Amino acid sequence: MSEIGVWITALTTLAIYSFLYRDNPFYKAAEYLLIGLTVGYSLVISVKTVLWPGLVLPLVGGDLAKIIPLVLGGLMIIRLVPKLTVWSRIPLAVIVGAGAGVSIPAMLKARILQQMGATVGHVASLNGIIMLVGVIATVMYFYFSREQKGILQPVAKIGTWYMMIFFGATFGYTVMSRVSLLIGRMEFLLGDWLHLLGG
Amino acid sequence: MRFDRRYIFLAIAVAVAVPMLFPIGLPVAVTDETRQVYDRIENLAPGDVVMFSFDHEASSLPEVRPLAEAVLTHCFRRGVKVIGLALFAEGAAVGYDILKDVGEREDKTYGEDYLYLGYRPQYSAAILGMGESIAEVFPADYDQTPYEELPLGQRVKSYADIELVVSVADGSLPTYWVEYAQARYGQRIVAALTAVMVTAYNPYLEAGQLDGILGGLKGAAEYEKLLGQPAAGTRGMDAQSLAHLTIAILIILGNIIAFARWRRGKSGKEGDA
Amino acid sequence: MRTRLPVIICGVFGVFMAAQYFITAEPVTAMYRAVLDWMQIIFVCALLVGILNVILRQLKSAARPGPDRVYAGIALFGIALMVVLGFGWGIGRGSAFLWVFNNVQAPMQTTVFSLLAFYVASAAYRGFRARHFESALLIAAALIILLGRVPIGEMISSHVPAVVSWVLNVPAVAAKRAILIGIGLGMTATAIKVIAGLERAYLGSRTR
Repeated sequence: MSEIGVWITALTTLAIYSFLYRDNPFYKAAEYLLIGLTVGYSLVISVKTVLWPGLVLPLVGGDLAKIIPLVLGGLMIIRLVPKLTVWSRIPLAVIVGAGAGVSIPAMLKARILQQMGATVGHVASLNGIIMLVGVIATVMYFYFSREQKGILQPVAKIGTWYMMIFFGATFGYTVMSRVSLLIGRMEFLLGDWLHLLGG
Repeated sequence: MRFDRRYIFLAIAVAVAVPMLFPIGLPVAVTDETRQVYDRIENLAPGDVVMFSFDHEASSLPEVRPLAEAVLTHCFRRGVKVIGLALFAEGAAVGYDILKDVGEREDKTYGEDYLYLGYRPQYSAAILGMGESIAEVFPADYDQTPYEELPLGQRVKSYADIELVVSVADGSLPTYWVEYAQARYGQRIVAALTAVMVTAYNPYLEAGQLDGILGGLKGAAEYEKLLGQPAAGTRGMDAQSLAHLTIAILIILGNIIAFARWRRGKSGKEGDA
Repeated sequence: MRTRLPVIICGVFGVFMAAQYFITAEPVTAMYRAVLDWMQIIFVCALLVGILNVILRQLKSAARPGPDRVYAGIALFGIALMVVLGFGWGIGRGSAFLWVFNNVQAPMQTTVFSLLAFYVASAAYRGFRARHFESALLIAAALIILLGRVPIGEMISSHVPAVVSWVLNVPAVAAKRAILIGIGLGMTATAIKVIAGLERAYLGSRTR
């Protein structure tokens, strides 16, 4: 990284960290700059790496089949004109309908049947039984079609214990993730910028 | 009196900075999960093709970069060919940079040993499309060279020619890889995840729908140890340990203080009575 | 026409894309591949709509007198910078576009997310109270992972990694698996309702 790059990165990093003290104009300026850069980046990447090779070049090359996505994409973009917004419902319907269609078999197989199969596949072991109880109890917790009383109540209660363990574990990992990001930034500030780290 | 939370902020900053300035060198033990991923790559034959999908935002870079670099380095050293792509817009530039850096460092030739396809939106359609034809989804690579003009592109038509997909992710993308590439095309998948996502994917690993999970900076450190090449993951482990310890102490301290207040309140009420 | 045509289109595409899973005949596969391509183009155009909306919003803010004017100007500068660099000088290795991405955009994003390390620590101190059995379980699991998944935990006891592994691979997997199955059933039901035209929220609010 060049020296000017290091300084720009350091100043923007400090501007964002200044929020830890209190909200201030430096933080706000950095926030808006980030929004602008992200929007500009997305625009360039979308056009240069998707629309250009995937739509424009084939059309220029005479691929008439691309007229259909051109029309559908165009109908989506005219959504920006309030009077013509209604036309964007057609590409929306295509993408929502097709998305729903492909998701049904995929979801049934990967998320429901294979997961159920894995749950009942290990019941010969103690951990397998603990797992089976946990899955049933947690599913029961989300069963709202009947009032949770009688046998349903203690089963759902056991489900909450499993979920608390899951949420606790997830919290632990969330801390891990966020600390890793902080380590990355600290390594930059202390090492690349201030040259305080050895190696 | 209200406790100023900025003291906590300071404590965390110190817990991260001090072990960086004065490294302790805590030993890193390798977990079964990381070894499983390492063995999966180790068992690939030279010439096999691995697809690296950079399914993340730039915000998770300090976590995903060490992960991706470690696995990519291993792949290149095994003589495995790599095809990179991104299903998140920001992953496009990140993946390009990482793949080029590691490829050049390991003395690999672009187009023959590895190539980078860039970004494709609408992940379910992109993942399903590559099961039919990669060239249809990516007519050209990131640098706009037609896919089928690249030597590796001529050889790899669809998932049928790909041994393994590594989804480097900070969100829900590996779910889509499992649901669309694994369930439909039988494609084997490994997830290299930010730590925050690990618990979400353990059910898929347990069910055999994923071949392995590599999680967070710790996962990278473990992988670096297996590779015998300490890098960013290993460097971060002292700070990671101390920051975790600080937060654990804060949780315990908060509970002790709350318990003491509760006891005081209770005895106060009893005294009043 | 405003509602019926999109609902019919949605139903036709939904049924076709679900049915093609079971049909391998070439004309069906060719159509399936074409639809996958259309989906990507439509999606990227939807993304462009969002991007253009942000630009228009910032332009309006910049034109209005007030303190937000400067910030809107900064956002517009960021957009213009990336657009000029990206379209003018390319996006490949060594480009100014990638330089700005690597030196400004990516570090800033990382920094914003790393702020959460501080707030998570603050929340852990203030909010994690073992008031009843369930919250005690949550705190215990969090502490086990916090200490057990880093080198320091392995130093506390050689049994720690085994305990961590059990927590992650048995009770935590059970809960997450139940949630996955529940979400899967819910999403499948919603997808069927969308295809059948019973769920039309995607068309906007004035469709009933």
